[in-house]
Amino acid sequence: MYFYLPVALTSINILMPIGLGLAVGLLSGLFGVGGGFLMTPLLIMMGIPSTVAAATDSNQIVAASTSGTYAHWKVGNVDFKMGLHLLIGGFIGGLFGVQAIKILKEMGNADFVIKMTYVLMLGIVGTYMLIESLQSKKKNRTEEEESVLVRFLKSLPLQTDYQKSGVTHSALVPIAFGGFVGILAAIMGVGGGFLMVPVMVYILRMPMHVVVGTSLFQILFNCIEVTFLQAYTNHNVDFILAVLLLLGSTVGAQVGAVFGRKLKGEQLKIILACIVLVVTVKIIFELTLTPSQLLSQAGGH
Amino acid sequence: MNFKLQISKFKITAFLFICCSAALLLCCAVSSAELTMDANHDHINIDFFYHGSEVSVKGSAAAGSELIVKIASQDGHQILKKKGKAAGFLWMNVGELKFEHTPSLYLIAGTKNPDDTIDREEMDRHVIGYQALERHVEINPVANADEKTRWFQEFVKFKESSNLYAVIHETIFTSVNGNRQDYSIKFAWPYQAAPGDYEVTVYAVRDRKITETASKNVVVEQVGIVKSLADMAKNNGALYGIVSIVIALGAGFGVGMIFRKGGGAH
Repeated sequence: MYFYLPVALTSINILMPIGLGLAVGLLSGLFGVGGGFLMTPLLIMMGIPSTVAAATDSNQIVAASTSGTYAHWKVGNVDFKMGLHLLIGGFIGGLFGVQAIKILKEMGNADFVIKMTYVLMLGIVGTYMLIESLQSKKKNRTEEEESVLVRFLKSLPLQTDYQKSGVTHSALVPIAFGGFVGILAAIMGVGGGFLMVPVMVYILRMPMHVVVGTSLFQILFNCIEVTFLQAYTNHNVDFILAVLLLLGSTVGAQVGAVFGRKLKGEQLKIILACIVLVVTVKIIFELTLTPSQLLSQAGGH
Repeated sequence: MNFKLQISKFKITAFLFICCSAALLLCCAVSSAELTMDANHDHINIDFFYHGSEVSVKGSAAAGSELIVKIASQDGHQILKKKGKAAGFLWMNVGELKFEHTPSLYLIAGTKNPDDTIDREEMDRHVIGYQALERHVEINPVANADEKTRWFQEFVKFKESSNLYAVIHETIFTSVNGNRQDYSIKFAWPYQAAPGDYEVTVYAVRDRKITETASKNVVVEQVGIVKSLADMAKNNGALYGIVSIVIALGAGFGVGMIFRKGGGAH
């Protein structure tokens, strides 16, 4: 059955967005990522204009991350205090990121810098996560190896006890790293879940299951803001498409959360690392193989 | 004086007689060669279940003339991103191109290939065929004519991939009917064609010249829920955004609650 999408101005077989939503929601509930890296290009492949694809995806993530956060919160896996501090940082970082894009665009060749940053970030994060999880799986890592960094973090003021995560940090640490991820995410035009998850795991030393829930919580707020801005300023959110996607993704997020509880933290990290590396390889192929079409709609990422 | 008046009356009568005869003759001549055209739609409604339509064009023309049917929107402009090689080997967006005087929809069908049946000047005047369209459009920025041709071909490829541009030959069905011929053709109207006004034009060609044209407008518009949502997205973005967010939040919580009940064992 086909539905017409009033903002995307195209018709779509409803099974496609529902199925895609289910798959991306599953990833979201499992790993605490928004899944925009997968959803947006696949929507474009289905004939949705790139600007509408990105904006509608953020609307859909609001539903998927609400569903996922709810599922993780039920079993006590959302650290709201940590999520809030990361959000404050992310918000400030986003403001700087937008300015950074302006400067890059004025310098010219912005696309080149953005694409390269994206590929490098994905590659480094994916490789590091994979190696680290495989090693720690073998030797059951002993406590606090990076003593210099840890000592520095402990010496900062505003030490706060994050009970749910079972860690103590200066409140400045999540704010600063949230800000760093916010800047990069704004520059690269992505949600930043794949960066936020490793920051929480490796720098904030949070347990993987709490990372997933907390990441979804802060993605939820980011995407509410993005959806509103996209609808208000660019008129790019397609409500019907979002509803079709969220029919799948809200269910997928629940299934992912249930399934994730059956996996160990290290297993989750290894799978996420592999997905990030697959996305990196896909982008490298896109960059090096001659595209079938040399023109595309303007206005998207 | 009286004589002069009579002469002028005679002149006026003669003039009127000549005019009427000429008009009558003209009418007869036109009716014998008159090109007729009718389309099954002059209005296509886009509702919730719209997945394109079919426009059938039929009519009659003088026997022996070649026919061309063109369906196009008004000229507009479009800005597209162009991909090129950065640092010698990486494909990425390297700027934008502005395509001016381009219709958003451009479908051409002919009894034969228009290139073989009409003079180039005639094709240019009526913008028939990709070559004429290429001469008609402006592309900026391009360095030279070769570059314009290259990017025009990419533009056609881009439009053809969404079924918005097509040039097809020998697809008009004709049958001889006395000294006239009946013709008909069916176009699959692409769902990608945006709401707006389109014109269907039939050209009759004889001796490489266009001798007659007939045209009809087709209006494509959104109706019902589709129209309400599109209008709201455009005119009331803030409310539209808030409704979208609230529904997404509601759906997320709703599904969460359902799973809580159904999946209590976990």
